[in-house]
Amino acid sequence: MRPIIKVEKLGKRYYLGPRETVPPTLREAIKNSFGTKVKLISRPHGDRHPSVWALKDVSFEIRPGEVVGIIGSNGAGKSTLLRILARITRPTEGKADLFGHAGSLLGVGTGFHPDLTGRENIYLNGAILGMNRSEITRKFDEIVAFAQVEKFLDTPAKRYSSGMYLRLGFAIAAHLEPDILLLDEVLTIADASFQKKCLERVKIASEGGMTILFVSHNLSSVRQVCCRVFHFDSGGIQGEGKPEAVITNYLKQVSAEPTY
Amino acid sequence: MNHPANNAISTVFESSSAKSALEFPKHARQLPAEPVTRIQPPRFWERIDFAELWAQREVLYFLMWRDLKVRYKQTILGALWVVLQPVLITAIFTIFLGKLMRVPSDGIPYPVFAYASLLLWTFVSNAILSSSYSLVANAQIITRVYFSRLLIPAATIGVRIVDLVIASFVLIALMLYYHVPLSWSMLMFPVFVVQIAALTFALGVLGASLNVRYRDVGTILPILLQAWMFLSPVVYSSSILPQRSRFLYSLNPLAGIIDGFRASLFNLPFQWLSIIIAAVVTLPLLILSILIFRRMESTFADEV
Repeated sequence: MRPIIKVEKLGKRYYLGPRETVPPTLREAIKNSFGTKVKLISRPHGDRHPSVWALKDVSFEIRPGEVVGIIGSNGAGKSTLLRILARITRPTEGKADLFGHAGSLLGVGTGFHPDLTGRENIYLNGAILGMNRSEITRKFDEIVAFAQVEKFLDTPAKRYSSGMYLRLGFAIAAHLEPDILLLDEVLTIADASFQKKCLERVKIASEGGMTILFVSHNLSSVRQVCCRVFHFDSGGIQGEGKPEAVITNYLKQVSAEPTY
Repeated sequence: MNHPANNAISTVFESSSAKSALEFPKHARQLPAEPVTRIQPPRFWERIDFAELWAQREVLYFLMWRDLKVRYKQTILGALWVVLQPVLITAIFTIFLGKLMRVPSDGIPYPVFAYASLLLWTFVSNAILSSSYSLVANAQIITRVYFSRLLIPAATIGVRIVDLVIASFVLIALMLYYHVPLSWSMLMFPVFVVQIAALTFALGVLGASLNVRYRDVGTILPILLQAWMFLSPVVYSSSILPQRSRFLYSLNPLAGIIDGFRASLFNLPFQWLSIIIAAVVTLPLLILSILIFRRMESTFADEV
């Protein structure tokens, strides 16, 4: 079967230092752009700033309907990959083709406004995540029931508890129907029962044909829902395969690391 | 299932897939031959994706709706502020320039003369300021979800257009009060509104993209705007200028637009040269600003 996600030699470089890719002041930027134009184009950042490849030479393919987990230590490049696929940031090199609509959940309650009510935030957040108005209206009751916030629909979100905030944010995202769903660490802060509910939702969605990319530090949920796992380390794919094997390998590697 | 974060190709795919979904289970659905989204390193100049902007128009609507809803929560006078702001500024200038200094106003009562131009100026100034801060203010959204970033400054400017429309009812009231006669020249006024919206959009988008990298812009902007107001015929008539400096003065596109707007309302002679200069300056500026925005857009999430 043809892949729905095709990633080829993807790389992302970040510049270190107080200012990442830019001259420190407006004055210098103006001076640069007038003074050395050729240099500015061929070597925009010079060699003054040390850089780091958050992602380097990553290639893989994902088939429609797969639920793929991405695990790895902090700084391994998992989130960078998801941010590139979600079009938040652009890669430095390489290419990724998506053969379907992508929806992303890289943080819960994106664009929630504290002064707006729960009801208003459902519309706002839904629209930002890519639903149109009639779609939100159609799913409104379901979203509210999923989030269990019926009583607080007309309360400004700033008076919500962090749990309510999270539940509402996830409930909206859970009712997206993209072909590809990109999930980043979002469930780690929810309580056990809501996490379970969400994982069930992920399962149902994948049975319906949705392709899901799932970054998580919660290995047991990766084990539960994923059919394939990538292990990332220092910006590259370290291991790939069935969840059990990859996770065992990952844990072995972690325990082999020296502790200070 | 219309996801606005995709482009025109996806819209085509959308309609065909909706049909096939009736016949096959979803997972057996045919994948499109061409990728819906191709992710690549940014090019030096990115083209303007009008199809994507159109597909995402609802995001624009909801961003505007949010700003309008939120702005006057926890205020006592609420939306009345839209009108009060230009009214109060007009009152100040009427007292100091109109009454005390007796600045000539082309024979038109100073309050209505000044309100007409201050209405436009309030729009220009508020729209450019809020647009310039818009990307930074929406950093959380920019770093977490993708839609065309141009919609963010566009929404803030859209909100100010709504303000402009509301505040113009006071202008109508003032014109009735001062018995400004109806004239054919009034048919020209939409031309100047479109021109000023284009000019404001150009500068607002430019300010927004620069302010992501150089927060200096946000700091210097209020001062530049103040200077620009006095360089434009907002609280005085450009007819007080000597003839020889007219050309230089009309190189400021805002001069031609504001003069033209007032000329159309009060049936004064049009200064065609400055009106044409305004159009000639505005159009390339608009295109250039959007291209610069597109050029810088790829790094917003890394820098905001």
